[in-house]
Amino acid sequence: MLDKIIKEYNEAIYDTDRDRALMVVHQAVEQGVSPEDVVFKVVLPALDLMVKAISENMDANLAQHFMTAQIADTVTAEMIAKFKKVPAVVGTVVIGTAQGDMHSLGKRIVIGCLKARMIDVTDLGVNVTPEHFVDEAVGRKAQVIGISAMMVHTARGENGSLAVRRLLQERGLEDKIRIIVGGAPFRFDDGLYRTVQADAWASDGVTASKVVADLVKEVRQ
Amino acid sequence: MITGMDRLVAAIKGEKSDRIPVFCNLIDQGPREMGLTPQEYYANGDYVAEAQLRMQARYGYDNVWSLFYVGKEAELLGCKKILYDKHGPPNVEEFVIKTYDDIDRLEVPTDLTQHPAFAEELKCLALLKREAGGKSPICAYISSSMTLPAMLMGMEKWMELLFFGPAEPREALLAKCHDFFVKEVKAYRDGGADVLVYSNPFGSTDTVPMKYFLEHSLPWIEKDIAAVGTAGMVYYCGMSSFNKVIDIVLARTGLGVYYLSPLDDIAEGKRIIAGRGLTCGVINDIRLIDWGRDEIRAEVKRMIEAGMPGGKFLFGTGVMPYDIPEANIRAMLEAAYEFGRYDDDK
Ligand code: B12
Repeated sequence: MLDKIIKEYNEAIYDTDRDRALMVVHQAVEQGVSPEDVVFKVVLPALDLMVKAISENMDANLAQHFMTAQIADTVTAEMIAKFKKVPAVVGTVVIGTAQGDMHSLGKRIVIGCLKARMIDVTDLGVNVTPEHFVDEAVGRKAQVIGISAMMVHTARGENGSLAVRRLLQERGLEDKIRIIVGGAPFRFDDGLYRTVQADAWASDGVTASKVVADLVKEVRQ
Repeated sequence: MITGMDRLVAAIKGEKSDRIPVFCNLIDQGPREMGLTPQEYYANGDYVAEAQLRMQARYGYDNVWSLFYVGKEAELLGCKKILYDKHGPPNVEEFVIKTYDDIDRLEVPTDLTQHPAFAEELKCLALLKREAGGKSPICAYISSSMTLPAMLMGMEKWMELLFFGPAEPREALLAKCHDFFVKEVKAYRDGGADVLVYSNPFGSTDTVPMKYFLEHSLPWIEKDIAAVGTAGMVYYCGMSSFNKVIDIVLARTGLGVYYLSPLDDIAEGKRIIAGRGLTCGVINDIRLIDWGRDEIRAEVKRMIEAGMPGGKFLFGTGVMPYDIPEANIRAMLEAAYEFGRYDDDK
């Protein structure tokens, strides 16, 4: 039965049909599938499948990412509420858009995908100062700071990732906290994350959730 | 002397002039050119026009722009807060539409040319027309009906409304944006703009799936273009790729100019257009910040070799980031002038 649910859920995601995806999940629960299985055997594998599809052909569009994140986020939140015990948090992340940047969509997509992976994520909003990124990361014991930037000057500028890196250095936090960046300029220049001294980047939210999970592991080791 | 306009017209007709037309979009560089802060600079349309003319004279490319910044359209619809930055383009800081009720309240000005936020735009156009009219194509930037809401309510909220509804405010907003679009095109044409860049990221399959494109994006594109005609209109998806839809857009709208994405394969785009229009090959200008001279020349050469055979080809940039060093702008343009020369055998 699970196979059929997985197949139907994946199809709904692919067609960016939110209502159908939710229906599939609700029916599964009614038929006795545990909320834990819905998350760990349906929702998460669907994310991984998308990561794989993207890395193979790049043929996923923005609408698909947006929907996937929305659906994964909604379903996970709904299912976790029904879990028998509170699930273990995989990691802690703070995320925001760089100072001077008001574009929130990319960040929102990333957040949805992170939540589906049981990563605890705090949204710091838009136009975030480097100090605020670091203070919040320290205060929340985050392993990863995520910085989103949609324009070249906010991605490369003095108040973005470069400044966060400097603060981490000054405060001796570099082995405790990783920086991940993303947004349009990074997609047009895949080496840019190194220029701005980040540890990693991801081209989309689905991939981001995987890369962040890896960074968390790295820090926790 | 052969002008930029001559080159463009020749390329559109499939004829030869001295070289292919070269469009270089220096917008964010304006304040620096005039030695002004962005606030000072954008407050006066004469400055914007003057900077365009100076930069064009210095570098020798073919076009000039009447665009201040994209967020200007939101100002015409009530946005009062713009975030300026010395090193990048101004951005909409506060969205006009915060709740769906605001969509009802949104007012499209009856006559744009009477709107105070358009006054400097008109001054700019008038100066450009006086100094460059008929010689250099004057470009204007216009958001499609489906794209404008992103600036009025943010991309996040707009995607939500667009994909999940409710239908009523969505259709009302699209209708108002279409109304605005039609008026804007008229105002720019009357003001002397020759090239109207129809900006529509929702016309790209990077943004929406093909099925959605066919069912929703395309009908709005058809509606937009049918209302204003194809004269001077350029299909452009904000640097997102669109080779996959060229054929059907061409068939349905008759649009004759395609400003590809750097992510599109130029030769493929040209094959699809198949002589029915002008193919514009667009460089990944974000890379121009770090590339060296040799890399730039190699890339320009590659692009022109892919697009120039058979004519009807233009070389262009996106909105050139502020950080691109002057030497790299020159290296790109020199390469484009050199490799884009029509020799007898090309
Ligand atoms: C749609 C679009 C627009 C729309 C809507 C913009 C908006 N969001 O509000 C419109 C047409 C209004 C527009 C306007 C402008 N735009 Co625009 N736009 C685009 C376009 C086509 C897509 C951007 C987008 O919204 N993507 C959707 C989001 C979700 O994608 P994303 O941010 O990349 O996020 C994904 C990944 O990057 C990643 N990610 C994002 N954040 C993070 C964070 C972390 C930590 C990680 C790991 C991953 C990650 O996951 C996300 C989801 O998959 C791009 C070109 C392109 N093809 O990318 C240009 C682009 C972003 N725009 C650009 C510019 C310059 C502008 C303007 C400033 C132009 C101007 N001179 O006025 C204006 C600003 C308008 C304003 N706000 O005032 C440039 C920016 C580069 C530069 N030169 O600085 C681009 C790259 C185009 C280009 N190459 O010239 N734009």
